[in-house]
Amino acid sequence: MSTAAILIAVVSFVLAALLALLTIPVLVWLERRIASLIQDRLGPNRTNIFGFRLGGVVQSFADVVKLLLKEEYYPSHIKMGRWLFMLAPVITFSAALLAFMVIPFADTLVIEGEALRLQALPVSFGILWYLAIGAIGVLGVIFGGWLSHNKYALLGAARAGSMVISYELPLGLSVITFVMTYNTLDFNAMVQYQSGTFLGFLPAWGIIVQPLAGIILIISLFAETNRNPFTVAEGESEIVAGYMTEHTAMKFAMYFMGEYVAMNTASAVIITMLFGGYQLPYLSTETLTTHFTTFALAIMIVLPIFLTLFIRWMRKNNSVRKSVSSDGGRAFETKVLTVALITFGLVVEMLLLYLAFFAEEPLANALTIALFQLLVFVVKLMAFNIFFIIIRWTVPRFRYDQVQRLGWHYLLPLSLLNILVTALIIVGVGS
Amino acid sequence: MLELSLFFILALFTLGGSITMVVSFQPLFSAFGFLIAMLGLAGLFALLNNQFLALAQIMVSVGAVVILSMLTIMTVNAQVQNLPKEPHKFIWLILSSFLVAPITVLIYTQLNTLPATLKGAETITAKVIGNALFTDWVFPFEIVSILLLTAMVGAIVIGRKHLLDTKACS
Repeated sequence: MSTAAILIAVVSFVLAALLALLTIPVLVWLERRIASLIQDRLGPNRTNIFGFRLGGVVQSFADVVKLLLKEEYYPSHIKMGRWLFMLAPVITFSAALLAFMVIPFADTLVIEGEALRLQALPVSFGILWYLAIGAIGVLGVIFGGWLSHNKYALLGAARAGSMVISYELPLGLSVITFVMTYNTLDFNAMVQYQSGTFLGFLPAWGIIVQPLAGIILIISLFAETNRNPFTVAEGESEIVAGYMTEHTAMKFAMYFMGEYVAMNTASAVIITMLFGGYQLPYLSTETLTTHFTTFALAIMIVLPIFLTLFIRWMRKNNSVRKSVSSDGGRAFETKVLTVALITFGLVVEMLLLYLAFFAEEPLANALTIALFQLLVFVVKLMAFNIFFIIIRWTVPRFRYDQVQRLGWHYLLPLSLLNILVTALIIVGVGS
Repeated sequence: MLELSLFFILALFTLGGSITMVVSFQPLFSAFGFLIAMLGLAGLFALLNNQFLALAQIMVSVGAVVILSMLTIMTVNAQVQNLPKEPHKFIWLILSSFLVAPITVLIYTQLNTLPATLKGAETITAKVIGNALFTDWVFPFEIVSILLLTAMVGAIVIGRKHLLDTKACS
C-alpha cells in the first residue's frame, strides 16, 4: 500500500463517519423546521452561541447536552439482562452507522496507476452489506422491547420484527431486479452504469430504467427505517413510545439518533441505486475529466450567482422586526457569515482559475472532480432526507393491518412479477 | 500474527455464543448467543477472504433466522419456572455430543475439500457460487428446497388443525 492509498482510505473513512454522524443534528433540525413550516410556525430559531444561530442548528447541540446530562434511570422491575437492555440501543445505532460505510461518495480515484475507492469500507458487495448489516438493527429494537417487561414495549418490538420480516421480502426482491439490471452487486459499478443514457436521451437512472422496482424499493426502505407512514413500532396513539418506552436519557437518544442515521443511510442507498449516486445526469467522470476547463468555467459562473442569492436571502431573513429593540446578535452573525461566504467563493474561484488555465495537473483535476461529486452526493442526500421528512409530516399513519396487507398483498406479488419481466427482457435482449 | 489473533477472537465469539445458546435458561439470551455465534462465523468467513459468504451468512442467519426465532420467543413468552425440569441436562449434552461425533467426522471428511468448480476460481464471487449451485449442485439444492417446502406444509397443517379445533369448539 502506498502513502496515497493509506491517505485516501483514512480520508474516506473520516468523511463517511462525518457524513453519518454530523448529519444527525442537521437532520433533527431539518425535521423540526420543516414540520414547523408545514404547520405554519417557525420552529427552533432562538438558541445561540455568541449570537450565532445558523438558522437554529445550535438547538440540536443544546438537545444533545440536555440528553447527556439527564438522569440515567433504570426501571426496577428489570431483574435480569440489564446489560443487554443497555446494549440494545447501541446495537441499533451501530448497525445503522455501519450500514452507511459502503456508500461511495465519489468515483474511484486513480493515483499512480492505483485505483482507490472513495468508500469507507472497500467492499465490492455493497448492497449485500447494506441488507446484512441493516437487518441487525431491528435486533436492538427487539431486545430492548422484550427486556423492558412492558406490554407497550413488547408490542412495539413484535410489530417492528414482523414488519421487518414482511418488508425484507419486497426489498430483497426489488434489489434482485436492480442487480439483474446493473449486472453487479457493487454500489460504485451501479453508479457508473447510471451515468450512461437510456433510450438515447434519458439519464439511465434506476428510477427511469426500473420505475416499479424503484418505487417498491423506496416504500420498503421507508418501512425498514420505521419512518412515517410506517411508524407502527412506536405509534403514540396506541402503544405510547413502543419499544423505547422504558429507555431514558442517552439510551433513548441512541434509539433516536439510530433512527436518523438509518434514514440517512436509506436515502444514501436510494440515491445510489435509483438517482445516479454522486453523478449529475449526462456528466460522467470521463466527460468531466476530458472537458475540465469547461467544467471549471461553469462552476466559476454558477458559484457567485448562487452565493449572491444565498447572501441576499440571509440578509433579508436573519433580522428582527423594527419594533424589537435588541436583535440578539443577528446583524453581527449576518455580517460574519457574509464575509466568510465571500472569502470562500473567492478562494474557490482562484483555485479553479489556476487549475483550469495555468496548471496541468491531472491529479489535482481528479481531486477537484471528486470534491464536486462529493458535493453533488451531499446535496442529493439532503434532498432525499427532506423528502423523507416531508412524507412524515404530510401523510397519515397506516394502521398495523394495512401495513401488513400492503407488504404481503401488493408489494410482494408486484416485485415477483417485476423480476419475471426483467428476466424475460434481459434474456430476450441478450439472445 | 494479526490473522491468528483475529482467528482466536472470532473463534471465541463463535464458541462462546454457541455455548450461551445451549446453556442459558432465558430464550432471549439463547437468541443473543446465537446472534454472536453467527457474527463470529461470518467473521471467520471474512478472515478467509470470502466476503460474499460472510455477508450471506449474516443475511440469512441474522436477518432471517434470529429475527424469526425472536418473534417466536416473544409470542410464546416462555418463563423460567415453566420450563421442563432437566436435572441431568449437562450430562446428556456431553453424552449426545459423543454420539454425534461419528456424523461430524463423516461430514468433515466429505466436505473438507472444495469441489473442482470452486477450486479453480481465484476469489469466490456471487457469480461462481450461482453457477455452481445451478450446475453441479442443482440436485442437492432442489432436495433442500423440497425439504423446506415439506417443513412449511407441515407447519401449516399443524397450525390449521389447531384453528379447525377451536372453530369446532366455539
